Amino acid sequence: MLQTVAAAEPYVPPKSRKDAVRKAMFYALMLLVALIFFTPFIWTFITAFKTLPDSVNVTSLPHPWTTSAWHRVWADSDFPTYIKNSLFLAAVIVVCNIFLAGLGGYAFARLRFPGRNLLFVLVLGTLMVPEQLRLIPIFVMMVNWGLYGHFESYILINLVTATNLFFMRQYFLTIPKDFEEAAKLDGASHFKIFWRVMLPLALPAMSALVILQFQGTWNDFFWPLILFGQGVSSHYTIQLGLQQFYGQYQSDVPAVMVGSILAILPVLVIFLAFQRYFVSGVVSSGVKG
Amino acid sequence: MTKRLAMVLGLIVLVGALVAASAQAGHKTHKVTNVVVAGWSSGGDEDNLLQQVINVFNQTHSSVHATLQIINTNYSQAMTARFAAHNPPDVFYVDSSVIGQWQKQGVIQSLNGFINKSHYNTKKFYPKLLGAFKHGKTVYGFPKDWSPLATEVNNSMFAKAGLHAAPKTWAQLKSDAKALQQHGVAHPICLSADWARMGAFLYQNRGSLTKHLTSQANVRAVNFYVGLLKSGLAAQPSTLGVGWCGEALGKAKSAIIFEGNWVLPYMKSTFPNVHYGVTPMVKGKAQGNLAFTVSYSMAKDSQNKQAAWTLLSWLTSKKGQTIWMSKGLSLPSRSDVKAIGGRAPFLKAAPFARGWGFGNPNFNNAYTVMGNDLTAVISGSKTTQQMLSDVAKALKGQ
Amino acid sequence: MMASTSATEAVPSRPGFRSTMLGARLREAGWGYGFVLAPIGVFGLFFIYPFIYAIYISFYHWGILGKQGSAHGTFNYSNVLHDPIFHTALRNIAEYTFAVVPLELALGLSLALLINQKIRGRNFFRSSFYFPSIASSVAITTIALYIFNAQGLFNQIIGSNRAWFADASTVGWSIVGLNTWTTSGTVMIFYLAALQSIPDDVYEAAAVDATSAWRTFWRITFPLLKPAHFFCIVVFGIGALKLFDQAFIVANGASGAPNYATMVPIIYIYNEAFGNSDFGVAAAAGVIYFVIIFALTIVMRLTVGRQEPA
Repeated sequence: MLQTVAAAEPYVPPKSRKDAVRKAMFYALMLLVALIFFTPFIWTFITAFKTLPDSVNVTSLPHPWTTSAWHRVWADSDFPTYIKNSLFLAAVIVVCNIFLAGLGGYAFARLRFPGRNLLFVLVLGTLMVPEQLRLIPIFVMMVNWGLYGHFESYILINLVTATNLFFMRQYFLTIPKDFEEAAKLDGASHFKIFWRVMLPLALPAMSALVILQFQGTWNDFFWPLILFGQGVSSHYTIQLGLQQFYGQYQSDVPAVMVGSILAILPVLVIFLAFQRYFVSGVVSSGVKG
Repeated sequence: MTKRLAMVLGLIVLVGALVAASAQAGHKTHKVTNVVVAGWSSGGDEDNLLQQVINVFNQTHSSVHATLQIINTNYSQAMTARFAAHNPPDVFYVDSSVIGQWQKQGVIQSLNGFINKSHYNTKKFYPKLLGAFKHGKTVYGFPKDWSPLATEVNNSMFAKAGLHAAPKTWAQLKSDAKALQQHGVAHPICLSADWARMGAFLYQNRGSLTKHLTSQANVRAVNFYVGLLKSGLAAQPSTLGVGWCGEALGKAKSAIIFEGNWVLPYMKSTFPNVHYGVTPMVKGKAQGNLAFTVSYSMAKDSQNKQAAWTLLSWLTSKKGQTIWMSKGLSLPSRSDVKAIGGRAPFLKAAPFARGWGFGNPNFNNAYTVMGNDLTAVISGSKTTQQMLSDVAKALKGQ
Repeated sequence: MMASTSATEAVPSRPGFRSTMLGARLREAGWGYGFVLAPIGVFGLFFIYPFIYAIYISFYHWGILGKQGSAHGTFNYSNVLHDPIFHTALRNIAEYTFAVVPLELALGLSLALLINQKIRGRNFFRSSFYFPSIASSVAITTIALYIFNAQGLFNQIIGSNRAWFADASTVGWSIVGLNTWTTSGTVMIFYLAALQSIPDDVYEAAAVDATSAWRTFWRITFPLLKPAHFFCIVVFGIGALKLFDQAFIVANGASGAPNYATMVPIIYIYNEAFGNSDFGVAAAAGVIYFVIIFALTIVMRLTVGRQEPA
């Protein structure tokens, strides 16, 4: 079952003056911490609207406010391409993951086949293989297959992750079997049961998976660096593009800040709209069977 | 009726003839071979100049068409990956500090065959520069240009401190810096923790980057360089809040820096209002300088080697190099091409400039050791002797 | 509606022939295999196979163009194990992990405790505390590099002029601080869930005894959170051991600058491969580091037991 954070209890007015002072200090502390957490992003936002000479004044507001940095990034750099690439990869990988993790998760949760447990241990085992170990062989493999520098290489290695498969399996385990029983009585094949009954029931889990996988792919720096870092920017994703942009245009602070905002924005928007799923997804993905 | 028929027939014949003629013309055009040329660039001006050079080549060569790819960050990783994938650019930049390693890996095409077949005259290349890209008698690239270091000073800051000339010796360097400090400049000299700058000082003290690295001469030179930093007369770019010493000069954080040719176009485009002067590199017990050079080389995996040779040999020919020199981004590597005006301080260094990393396949690796160890020496956690011995080992490939 | 505990025990409503039941079982198995074929294929091809391939590569001299010669042996392993730079990388990652994990957990738990009160605007605060966790490592590190510049915002506020991310003595702690901040949100979420699962009676009992908030926390809450502690230590500990992005961005490459302060194992592997073109050594380093992490995970599992959050 997806873990949900319990709703806060109704606000109870403070009973005494000491309580009131304590409550005030508490809120002050909370606001201070929130402010500290926000400050870097506020600064980033402000700096993105400064002119290059003005950006030296780090503690003041833009004087004048200008969108010149945005023009520089949007029109003169390859950021639009980077964004397009990242969106494309995220879309493909999210869809593949939903489908494959759903299928696999359902099979491991509900279908019986010989060697199921052994195969599940195999899946568990992949979590033990860290990126640093896969780095060299994946690079060499992709080069040998002629896929290096092509989007296919990145998509293939991210078609489905063990974490996502676990996540879906966990969720399917918690769905009452009655639904399947009913469908079976009606003579539905296993695929139909999965497609028509289980997948729709797993909508909350899938939503969380979509959001987390989108975030993971959008924020990924390591594998795009390894697989697309061949100097020609047509295949760069946004995080890789931002790092390369920073490496070259370090002194153009406003432009780099614009790039950073672009690199954070989509995930931020999704986060604000679907916070619930983020939270529940993060917690559930931590609960491994 | 017959007239109309004749007209229609005539039209058909005409159209048919035109089609046949264009088809013939199509057959008559030569095959155009496409080659890819790759390099890095410091920014807009250099991008445009590079493109200009390529455009002239394309206009004057009908059978070869060159496409430019500018690879700026992670050049090393990008090229490694493309070599591994067997689809490298046909012609590309190779830094003199890296040619040894890549040649050893077997990814660079030897040019001897092409040189002999086309009777190319390599004598016009300065021998030291060409030598950086040779292994024994085999040539692995032609130097496209070169640059040494020089002294750049901020004239306004100097005037304010009552100084009228740039320092010429180590002693003057120190005294000028002290004078500037007394007039309010916190860190008058900008020095990078970079052997690609400090190396010149080693040679100025009669030391060497290639022989007997742990000599006393080297120790004293390093201690002088590090001493400037430790005493506060000099500071690293990061302390000054800038990315490199050129920026420090432009932002008037320091008055004295040591950079190569590349600082001139940078200052012109980024800090056009700063009054600065260029003088030859300071001198220690002797003159000493470093020569940085980059080659155009050919990939062993190139599918169009003959066309690549046409491009490569033209780029480094008198014609090609003259265009490249027109903006003064660097100095010519050929004796029959003149540098543009105002480059005398750099040209004067030619006799004393020692190759940076020439001919050592371990240099790239050793450079990481150099940088990290020098930072350690500056912060006091390593001794100069320790660093020199580490670097000596790394240069030998240990 | 039949309430059955196991689908296989259910008797089909059609006249039950053994062959039909067997057929059903076979069909089910077929579908089972079909469904897991793709995922297992992906795992096998891109996790298990590379694992073996890495070991294979590590025994050869392997350059840009592939295997160089047929000489095989443990020379790459010997190379790595004797390399002082690799030792530095191990030392750095150990120091980093031992610093960042307790800090992340402490901050995350503190935030969770704050949020767990009966307060107004709980969602707002939870979002603000979690927000840094969702931003990408590249964006956050790039922003931090400007803010903590020698003349950046941070120094202007506190009146210093240290180059926090450029100075070898401070860059390690700067990265610790940065990652503590960005990971605390995720830690907070885990602790929140764990705190939610502590029944209220526990607190009521403590309130009846008039136990101070501090004591309540240390004597009751903290021990009850043991499963969460252990879980977080394992998960975030392994996460810390995999440090790469921030080190790469701060040093603008894999040089480990300044003075090897950003040299950590994955940077070492990357540098050996793409800087020194020595893929054999890089693969060997990968295997060695994997063994270390694996051993640590086993040790943690054994000493800490299989405790998971509720």
